Amino acid sequence: MNSQTPNCGCPHRSRRSFLRAGSLSFLGLTLADYLRYSATPALASETPPKAGAVILLWLEGGVSHLDTWDVKANSGFRTIPTNAAGVRISEILPRMSQHMDKMSIIRSMKTFERNHPQGTIETQTGHRPNPAMKFPSLGSIVSKELGGRNDLPPYVVVPTPSENDFFNYEEAYKAAFLGPQYDSMILPDPSQPDFAVPDLSLPKSITTEAIEDRRTMLSIVDKHYRSREHDARFSKMDEFRETALQMILSPDVKKAFDLSQESEETRDRYGRDRVGQSVLLARRLVEAGCRFVTAAGYRHGEWDTHGKNEERLRDKLAPRLDQSLSALLEDLQQRNLLESTVVIATGEFGRTPEINPGRGRDHWPDCWSLVMGGGGIQGGRVIGASDERGAYVAERPVSIGDVYATIYKALGIDWAKSYITPIGRPVYIANGFDDQAGSPIAELI
Amino acid sequence: MMLKTSHLVVFAFSWLAWAASMVQAETGIESEQLVSLAIVPAEATLSGKGESRQFVLIGTYLDGFTRDLTTRGNWELSNPDVGDLPTSGTLAARSTGNVTLTAQFAGHTASSSVQVNVSDGERPFSFQRDIGAILTKRGCNTTDCHGTVKGQGGLKLSSNALDAKEDYGWIVDGGTFQVLSAESKGPRIPRVDKKNPEQSLILTKPTDTDHGGGKRFDIGSSDYLAILDWIRSGAPYGENAGGAAAVVKVDVFPPEMVLEMSGQHQLLVTAYLSDGSTQDLSDQVMYVPTDPQVIEVSETGVVKPLKPGETSVLIRAAGFAVSTRVGIIQESVADYPEVKSWNFIDRFILAKLRKFNIVPSEVSSDAEFLRRICLDLAGTLPPPERTREFLSSTDPDKRNQLIESLLQSPEYVDYWGFLFSDLMRATFVASNNAAMTQAYEDWVVNSIAANKPYDQMAREKIAATGYSAPARNLQYVGESLAPEQIMAEHVRIFWGKRLDCAQCHNHPFEIWTQNQFWGLAAYYGGLEELRGSKVFFDRLDRDWGKPVAHPRTGEKVRPVFFDGTPLPAEEHLSPRSRLAEQIIASPEFAETAVNRVWGYLFGRAIVDPVDDFRATNPPTHPELLDALAKDFRAHGYDLKQLIRTIVQSRTYQLSGSPNDTNGGDRINYSRALPRPMEAAVMLDAISSATGVEEHFKYHAMAGGPNQVPAPGARAIQMNPDLCPSQFMDVYGRSMRKQAPVGPPEPTLAQTLHMWAGQTYTAKIAEKGGRLDTLLANGAADAAIIDEFYLATLIRPPTHEEQSQLLSILARRPDRREQTLQGFVWALLCSAEFATNH
Repeated sequence: MNSQTPNCGCPHRSRRSFLRAGSLSFLGLTLADYLRYSATPALASETPPKAGAVILLWLEGGVSHLDTWDVKANSGFRTIPTNAAGVRISEILPRMSQHMDKMSIIRSMKTFERNHPQGTIETQTGHRPNPAMKFPSLGSIVSKELGGRNDLPPYVVVPTPSENDFFNYEEAYKAAFLGPQYDSMILPDPSQPDFAVPDLSLPKSITTEAIEDRRTMLSIVDKHYRSREHDARFSKMDEFRETALQMILSPDVKKAFDLSQESEETRDRYGRDRVGQSVLLARRLVEAGCRFVTAAGYRHGEWDTHGKNEERLRDKLAPRLDQSLSALLEDLQQRNLLESTVVIATGEFGRTPEINPGRGRDHWPDCWSLVMGGGGIQGGRVIGASDERGAYVAERPVSIGDVYATIYKALGIDWAKSYITPIGRPVYIANGFDDQAGSPIAELI
Repeated sequence: MMLKTSHLVVFAFSWLAWAASMVQAETGIESEQLVSLAIVPAEATLSGKGESRQFVLIGTYLDGFTRDLTTRGNWELSNPDVGDLPTSGTLAARSTGNVTLTAQFAGHTASSSVQVNVSDGERPFSFQRDIGAILTKRGCNTTDCHGTVKGQGGLKLSSNALDAKEDYGWIVDGGTFQVLSAESKGPRIPRVDKKNPEQSLILTKPTDTDHGGGKRFDIGSSDYLAILDWIRSGAPYGENAGGAAAVVKVDVFPPEMVLEMSGQHQLLVTAYLSDGSTQDLSDQVMYVPTDPQVIEVSETGVVKPLKPGETSVLIRAAGFAVSTRVGIIQESVADYPEVKSWNFIDRFILAKLRKFNIVPSEVSSDAEFLRRICLDLAGTLPPPERTREFLSSTDPDKRNQLIESLLQSPEYVDYWGFLFSDLMRATFVASNNAAMTQAYEDWVVNSIAANKPYDQMAREKIAATGYSAPARNLQYVGESLAPEQIMAEHVRIFWGKRLDCAQCHNHPFEIWTQNQFWGLAAYYGGLEELRGSKVFFDRLDRDWGKPVAHPRTGEKVRPVFFDGTPLPAEEHLSPRSRLAEQIIASPEFAETAVNRVWGYLFGRAIVDPVDDFRATNPPTHPELLDALAKDFRAHGYDLKQLIRTIVQSRTYQLSGSPNDTNGGDRINYSRALPRPMEAAVMLDAISSATGVEEHFKYHAMAGGPNQVPAPGARAIQMNPDLCPSQFMDVYGRSMRKQAPVGPPEPTLAQTLHMWAGQTYTAKIAEKGGRLDTLLANGAADAAIIDEFYLATLIRPPTHEEQSQLLSILARRPDRREQTLQGFVWALLCSAEFATNH
C-alpha cells in the first residue's frame, strides 16, 4: 500500500461508490435494493442541503413503541387518525395527531443492545460499546462537520444529566477521539426558577475597562514564559479565551439562553417542566445558531416502564412528549424553521410485546419505532413495519446508521465518510448493520 | 572529521536554518578515522541454486560511529565458481562449496565465510512463504487495505499473511469475512480461476488501475508470474507452515542506527526457520518509515536520510512485524560541553544526546526545581514562606533534603494515591455503595502510603477474589466488564500492552492474535455473572463455573499464557495467582512500571504511550528502560526508591529553557517540557494560591459516613464519582470509567470558566483570602505583586514585569482592589501557572 501511516486517507475512500456497488453481489442484495441504492445521487450533484441544525428529543428509558407510534392489538390503547393520510398513532398522543404531516414514523428500527447504558451508547453514537475505544456522539460529529455559528456553542445538551441518569455516559454527549472542542456544552435545568447558564455572565465589578486591564496584565505575565516555550496548547487556549469573551459579551448569545424572553403563554404551551422547557430552549438555541441540541428532560430512565406501563405512559410520559413535541413543531413551522431543522424523538430501544407480571414491558431492541422530520426529511410517512405483535421487523429493517445517514444527508454531510482514529481504526460516521456505512432512508429524503 | 558549528535539528521549524549550514557540509568520510571493518553476517549459508543473500559492510570510526560502506567497498569471492556478486554485497549461489567473501575499504579488509549448497535443489512450494510474501510486499494485506479487521471490498486477508491458512481459504474458496463469526457471509466465489488462470480475481484486481487499492503490480511482472504459475499448478497450499521450514522469528540488522545526512544504510532482514537455517528476506519485505519526512527506504531495504530527526522503520515480513529505530543527525557541535552524570539515568540520556549532537539545557534554577518537585511529588504548590526559605538556603544538599521530606509527606500519599486511583479506576460500584468504593480506593491509597512493593500490589490486584477490596470485580452497572475486559485492563496496567483490539480480531499492528487474547481471558473464567446484571463476582469455590468461550468458534477456552504455556491442571482452582506470577516474572512487568512512573515525571514515557509496548512501538532509550527495570527489581519493586532515583537525576533537574541545539527536542529529555496540570491539581493550586479552600460536598446518594468532606480536603482526595465539581469536569478530570488518557486539552468551557466562573471570580475576591488579607494588612502594590508571583509561579517577578504591572495599577487609583484582582486573575490564567515545567 502506498500509504503507510495508519491515519492516512485511505486510497479506497475516493473509490467508495465503486467499492460499494462492487460488493453488492457478495452481500446478496436484491436487484430492487441495488436500484434503490444506485438511484441515490452522489452528494456533489445535489441541491444544497436544507437543514442546518438538529433537535434531538431524548426519551430516556426506552419508549414502548406498541403504545405510541406502532400500536398493536397487544396494547391497552387504541389508535386515532392523524392529519397524515393513513397514518394512525396512539390515542395518548392526541396533539401529535395534528402534526404527523411533519414527522415520519420508522416502525422497523433494529438495534442490538438490551440494556440502558449500552443501548444509549448505541443510539447516541451508532456504535455498540467497545472496551477498546469510545466513539463520538452524533451531536459531536454534526458539530465537527458543520462548525459553529454566531458565537454560539455548536452542540448543547440540556439539562445536565444527573448521576442516576442513563444519559450520564460520556458517549452520549462527548466527542471521544474527535477532541474536546466537539464535546457538548451542558446546561442546567431550564425549568428551575434560578436557571442561568454558568460562566456566561461576568460579575458586575468587571467592567469593560477591567476586561482590558485583565487582558493587558495577562500578556505581561505570560510574556516571559511564552517567549521561550511554544506549545500548541497555549495558542489554542488564547484562541478559546477570545472566543469565550465574545460569547460572554454578545447580547445575542445571552438572549439565546434567556427563556424569560418567551411569553408566559409560550412557556406554558411547551409545559412548565424539565421536558417542556428543555425543548423550548432547544428551539431558541437552534434559532440563534446552535447546530445540535439534545433536549433530555426525561430523567432516571422515566420511559423504562417495567411496571405499570399503561398508567405511566398515559398519565406521566406521553402527555409531556405530546405537549412539548407538538409545540416545537408548531413553532418551527410558524417561524419558517422547520425546513432547516431536523427533529428526531427517540429513546434507546423499544419494549417487549409481552406484558410482565408487574404490568410492565421490558427492554426490546429487536424492533422499535422512532419519529423524525423537518430539515427536508419528509413527514407524513411510515417507514417499514413490524410483525403482528410488534416483536420483530416484518419489512425494511432500518439501522441506527441509516437514521444517521438520513440526518447527514439533510445537513449536506457525506454520510459514507469514515474517520480514522488516532490508532488507525476507520470509524463510519453513520455506522449501519454489520459495521458497514448506513444509507439515507430514500423514501424520506 | 569536519567540524562546523552545526547542530541537530529535530523539527521542521528549524529546517531552514539547518539547510543553510548543510551547504557547507562535506560529504566524504576521512579514511584515517576508520578503526575497523566487518561484514554482517560474518557467517552464512545459501541453500538452493540462484538463492541470493545481502551482506553489509560496516566500518567503525574513531568518533564512535559505525557507517555502512556496502556500496563503497571492494567485494571479492575466494572462489568465483561458487557464486556471483551481481551488486555490491549481494551473493548469488551457483555451485556447492565453501567460500570466503571479502571486502576492502581504505586499507582495511573484512571477510565472511559462506557455505553454499545447491544440491538441495529447489525448495518445496509454500503458500505462506511464496504467495504470502507477495501479498505482504505489495501491500495487499496492510491494515488499511485487505488486512483491515474486516477486509476491504469483500476480500479479507490477514495482516502480513499472519494467518496463511485463512488467507488461502478466502482466495481459493472465496467468501466474505464476518467479525466474531466462523461463518463466511454470502456466496463463496473463488478468487482463483483454475480453468482460466489469467482471469483469476487475484490477478485481474491488482493489475487493474480501477482496483480500489490502485494498481499493485504489472501483468508479466515477476510477482504476477509467480501467482500465475501457482494457479496453473492447481493453486496448492503446499508445505504446511507448521512443517520443517516454518519461520519462527524475524530480525533486522541493525536494531538501531544513527546516520549522518550524507550517509545511507542497508537493512538486513533475516528469517530464522524451524530447521535452524536462516533466510535473507531483505528484498522480500515491506519497509514502512513511521515518519516518512525523515527517511525513505528503498524496496531492497536501503535507508536514506531526508532530514534530521528520529523515526523507526516498520518491517512487515512472513507474518511478523519488527522495527528498527533510525536517528538522522547533523554534523557535530564544535564545542560540545562536558556534561556530568549524577546517576546512571544520566549516563544513558547524555550519551544519546551526545550522539545526536544535542546539548542539554542547564540545570534548573532552585525556583524552577522547587515548583516542579512539589507538583510531581506532592501535587501541590509550596506556600510563599516555604519558597522563601528554600530559595534563601545555602545548604548544598537542600534539593535532596527537600526530595526526602516530600517523599515522607502525607501530600505524597495524596498525590500518588490519586495517580494510582485514576490508573486503577477507583470508581463507583454497582450497588451504589460508597463503602465498597471507599474500600477499593483505600486499598490503592494505603498501598501507596505503606510503599507496598509493587509486585505485591500487582499480585493482590490480579489474583484478588471475592469481596476483597482489590478485587473490585463488582463493577459500575454501566460498564459491564466481562472477564475478558478485566483481563485486558490488568494487562494494560501491569504489562503495558493494549490487547483490547485482539478481542474481536487479530491486533491490526501486531502479531497478537485473537487466540492469545482469549487464552489469557480464560484465566478469569471463574467469575460469575450475578443474575444477568453484568456484574461479575469471583467465585473461588467453583471450579470453572463459567468458562470463557471463544467468540468465533464458540469453544470453551483453556487458560494459556501469552507465550503459549498452558495453565497446569493442578492450578485451575486459582488460575489468576499463577497468572500474576507469570506476569510479574516477565521483563515487561518491571519495564511497564518504571516506564509509567517515568511518564508521570516527564510527561513523556520511554515507551509512549505508557501502555503500548509492542515491537512496532520501540522505546526511545532501550538500555535506560532496561537499567531502570533492573534497578527497580533489585530494590524489591520499591516505588519510592524508583521515584527518588529519577528525581535525583540531572536529567529530571534540567531547566526548561532551551539552548540553540535543543529547542525542537521533544523525545530525548534534553530539557524539561511543559506538562498541563491535572484538573484536581490545578484546582488545589488555585486554592492554595488564592488562600481560599474549596468547599467540597458529596453527592447526596453517596451515603458515606460523612456527608461533607473534612475541612481542608484537597481536590486530589476527592473520588470523582462521589464528589461533583464543575471546575474539575470542565478541566477534564478522569472519571475513572476508562484508562486515563493523558493530560486535559484546552476547551472553550475552560476559558468561559476563566472569565466568569466561580473558581476564579469568587476565590480571588473572597474575604479572608490571600489578596484580602494583604490589603487589610496595608501591603503595598509591589509587595502584593511579589507575594502572588511567589504563590503562583514560585518565583519573584522580573523587573520588567514588576514595573509594567505597577504602572497599570498606578493608572487605576480609584479601582485598586479590582485591578489587583485582575492581576491575580492574570497569573492564574497564564500558561506558566497552568503547566508543570
